[in-house]
Amino acid sequence: MTDPASDPSLVAQLRRADPALSRFNPLDRILVHDEFNTGTHGWIELLGNYDGHGNLDTVDDHMRDFRPPQLSSCNFFDVGTHGAMSGTYALKVATRPVAGHTGVAIRRLTMAGRGRVQFEAYLTFKTEAASEENQAASKAGAGEWDANLHPSEQQFGAFTIATDICDGVRYHCVARYLNTDLENRLRREWVYPTVPEPTPREHFEGKVKLPPTADFTAPEPDDWKPFGGPQELCYNEVPTKVNWHYVRWVIDTSTRSNIELQVNDTVYDMRDVPVPPYEEEYGSLGNLLNFYVSVRTHTDVRNFLYLDSVLISVDW
Amino acid sequence: MRESFTAVLERNRTLAGGFATEPYEVAWAAEARWFVRTLERTGTGTLMRVTTQVSPDGLHWCDLDPEREVAGDLVTWESSGFGGWLRLKGAVEGEDGGEASAKVMIYLALKS
Repeated sequence: MTDPASDPSLVAQLRRADPALSRFNPLDRILVHDEFNTGTHGWIELLGNYDGHGNLDTVDDHMRDFRPPQLSSCNFFDVGTHGAMSGTYALKVATRPVAGHTGVAIRRLTMAGRGRVQFEAYLTFKTEAASEENQAASKAGAGEWDANLHPSEQQFGAFTIATDICDGVRYHCVARYLNTDLENRLRREWVYPTVPEPTPREHFEGKVKLPPTADFTAPEPDDWKPFGGPQELCYNEVPTKVNWHYVRWVIDTSTRSNIELQVNDTVYDMRDVPVPPYEEEYGSLGNLLNFYVSVRTHTDVRNFLYLDSVLISVDW
Repeated sequence: MRESFTAVLERNRTLAGGFATEPYEVAWAAEARWFVRTLERTGTGTLMRVTTQVSPDGLHWCDLDPEREVAGDLVTWESSGFGGWLRLKGAVEGEDGGEASAKVMIYLALKS
């Protein structure tokens, strides 16, 4: 694979001359280039499946409230409108202020080939600033302020970038930044699930029934394993400063495997990070290629994941 | 082409007593229209009252409009001059303040 940054081809040079594209390193074919300053670009709330009558009571309890994404101006109580990296607006995924609640936005595609698929994004994560109404300063995770580390940083749980792919075999490639554990202690490391995500069909078949705040990607904390070592990101001391992080994640759909994850200046080799497939076959999912991002709070404080822009490219 | 987005702020959710929808950012929108679809009511003389609220920061809220009743199965109204954030604050109560609930869909339809 040619390193896009050093590729002398006309295509590469044209991409690097475009300010919107030059911040990315796409593979040969760009499938998706979403700048959220111009809309939601098909990123929408994930919802569990429901019956033929449209009866939403049949949606799994843990998949019925992943919250609508917001076009956010990153507007805060202290400085007003912070704005995004590519303009005024970013895509915000927000939790409720309930420990264990998860917000999820998904982008739905299919595959026209097999090979490398690369997800790139500029993103950041924040907790909700404290107020009299939300009482964040007295919720679990809040600690002393030392004018450097802000208590709200310990109130951010995790964000996840992930896929849902089916080529006959269904599987999820998943990478999660675990900022804190369930006791709100800083972990600041990347983790992956060792089990496939529980599905509505497994619930329908009586195999699994999860509560509303279950971790839908992998419910058991012990089923998440770290890879690559700790990484401190730039929360930047308070909940109202927005610093954008570059994320580049490569998977290979010809081998159903992870390849690598780059987060700012750190590149993690993910080739040995396993991708657990479903043992059972799923219909209606021919060439499924979904990407989702999620944010999960571990305390009764809203957590936010902001995406400035996303670029998905492939080598097919 | 104008941008638009319909947010489902509450989906198939049973409300009882006081409630507030989650803060929602709308600074990009020039138009906002609420739809409250009531799927089911329990209790006697169940009444749902809501007030549209605005905020400078998503943390501190005040009323934009007077309180209104949501009496029909599908009720709609428009909000204007709302700034950067919108939510609904309200209550579902029965006759004489008795226990009651309403299962609702709350949509916020936005357009640039």
